[in-house]
Amino acid sequence: MVSTESDTTDPILTCDGVTRSFTRGRSGWLSSPQDTQTVVAVDDVTTTIHTGDVVGLAGPSGSGKSTLLHLLAALDTPTKGRVVLDGTDTTTLSESQRAKLRLDEVGIVFQHFHLLPSLSARANVALPLVQRGVPKSTRRAKANDLLDAVGLADRATHKPAELSGGEQQRVAIARALVTDPSLLVADEPTGELDSETGRQILDLLTDVADDRAVIIASHDEAVLDRADSVLRLHDGRLQSESDPSMHREIPHES
Amino acid sequence: MSRKVRRLAGVVRLGLARFSGRLFGGDSRQLWSSIAGVAFAVMLMTTVGGISLGLASQSAIESEDVDYWVVPDAASASAIAVSVDAPRLGGVHSVTDQLADDDRIDYATPVLIRVLELSNPQTGNSEYILVAGVIPDSTNRSIIGLPTASLEPGDPHYADGTYDGPWTGQAVLSTGAATLLDAEKGTTLSPETGSATNRSFTVSDVAESEYTTGIGEVPVALVHLSEAQALSGATSGDQADQILVSTDDAAVAGDIERLYPQTNVVKRTGFAQQQLSSSSLPLAIAVGAVLTAFVVGTLFVATMMGLEVLSERASLATLAAIGYSSSSRSLLLVVETLSVTLSGAVVGLGLGIGGIELTNVLTERYLGIASVARFDPILVGAAFVVSVLIGLFASVYPVWLSHRANPVEVLQ
Repeated sequence: MVSTESDTTDPILTCDGVTRSFTRGRSGWLSSPQDTQTVVAVDDVTTTIHTGDVVGLAGPSGSGKSTLLHLLAALDTPTKGRVVLDGTDTTTLSESQRAKLRLDEVGIVFQHFHLLPSLSARANVALPLVQRGVPKSTRRAKANDLLDAVGLADRATHKPAELSGGEQQRVAIARALVTDPSLLVADEPTGELDSETGRQILDLLTDVADDRAVIIASHDEAVLDRADSVLRLHDGRLQSESDPSMHREIPHES
Repeated sequence: MSRKVRRLAGVVRLGLARFSGRLFGGDSRQLWSSIAGVAFAVMLMTTVGGISLGLASQSAIESEDVDYWVVPDAASASAIAVSVDAPRLGGVHSVTDQLADDDRIDYATPVLIRVLELSNPQTGNSEYILVAGVIPDSTNRSIIGLPTASLEPGDPHYADGTYDGPWTGQAVLSTGAATLLDAEKGTTLSPETGSATNRSFTVSDVAESEYTTGIGEVPVALVHLSEAQALSGATSGDQADQILVSTDDAAVAGDIERLYPQTNVVKRTGFAQQQLSSSSLPLAIAVGAVLTAFVVGTLFVATMMGLEVLSERASLATLAAIGYSSSSRSLLLVVETLSVTLSGAVVGLGLGIGGIELTNVLTERYLGIASVARFDPILVGAAFVVSVLIGLFASVYPVWLSHRANPVEVLQ
């Protein structure tokens, strides 16, 4: 269990015995059971995250970091167990309900930014507000405020291709924050950036944690050092929850 | 404005912004290909539709006087050029009177065409001339290329079928005929054949005529119908080879046919068009063009937009990840597909109008048929309706394709 100074508050995210497995290989009425293989990507993970937490998610490639991050962000549903986000059990929701939950409660930052190339920086930031049905003038004002906050006020009309990697990631962060979500998840947010730009991005991510929980998946210890706590995964199982400054192993809680 | 309406409007605007952004920036081959495909389909539909409209409305010579020939059923196309020994129409004066009473008809005259030998007694020249008997009116008209102005209006010699009215003896000669007969205005000519060789004609005018057959310019003369009938023995039954009708109303053809049973009503543009337009062919052509445009356009756009979705799957997955509902993403793709097809419709309409003009130029030049195709505003409506239908049907495939993609897999 992740423990922080906010333990006294209600958890924003609860992960209870979450398992996610995938069936790989050929399937269908001509296939035999030997043709398919079940891979457990996340295995029986339990944790709780509160508002204000900055949580690192660590582990080697293939350890299940991204899969767990997708489950926590309600992008995916567990095969077993449950994920409760802001009081809502995501496993009971339909796809459209999970989309609504993501729109209202989750901001997502991707390693490869995933900005829409045909839109300006401002339009990219305002994208979630379109789906929310926010008036155009409000969308524009809010997007401008956030671009100003991430230091890109003068780049509002630029297309992603006209921005550097760091600038694109800052636009992506602004987009993730534009709905004021209670949970911000970032998957390798500095993976494509140089160290100085990566540091600036981490500053941004940790600065916004006061009003929300932030989960950062990374294999970079420099990134994990900025977290309040770190969840370490190995072969899909939670190996430890640690204070990143101590890097000590904590027995797995199930 | 409700939140839902604002969301719909926002998604539509987003679709348009994505469409224009991708069209004019980055790799937009699929979009341009889709637009080109729709434009091609709409161009064909518009051009073929224009031809169908031209045939169906029989308005191919709308810009000129719409002229009809009323000819006997068994007459062939050659009867219009030189009608000799072909079935004839009877009671033509009374039928012509009925036609003249129709306000829509500007002018109607029977035409009797006979090859007669005329001679100039002063010089002794004698030649076979193609003589056309007509009933002139007070307006100067051109029949077989000769002006009727110098002929006295009406048909005095007919005298209600008694053929004992005054013999005007007026004849208009083509310059070719005048040269052959060595005649000029005022020259007296005598018929050498026929049943009224005791009569004579006086040349009332000589004019250029471009009346030709396959062997070149023909010497022609224009006289009053009853006098031509008297010369050729066609007074019995008041005969003529055809009735020429001049009108601006294309709808008059059916009435003429009803007025005169056992006849064909032939347009100036010729038999081929008459045969086409009297059938359901124009409608069949139009329906075929619309269906072809729709099916080809839909399949083409669906395929190209499917490829576009594959190349844009990261963007669509991103929208799904940040909370766009599947209905919003579907709407986005429908808007983008409709943008493609409507753009194609605009381009295709321009090309189609050009196609109509080109068709008219080519048919006039190589077939001698003027203005076969016709542009009508209904073609604009049809193009946009078909393009919208193409967009709606074609968008099913990219929408289905986008829903198959798992955002989690795409974004990893």
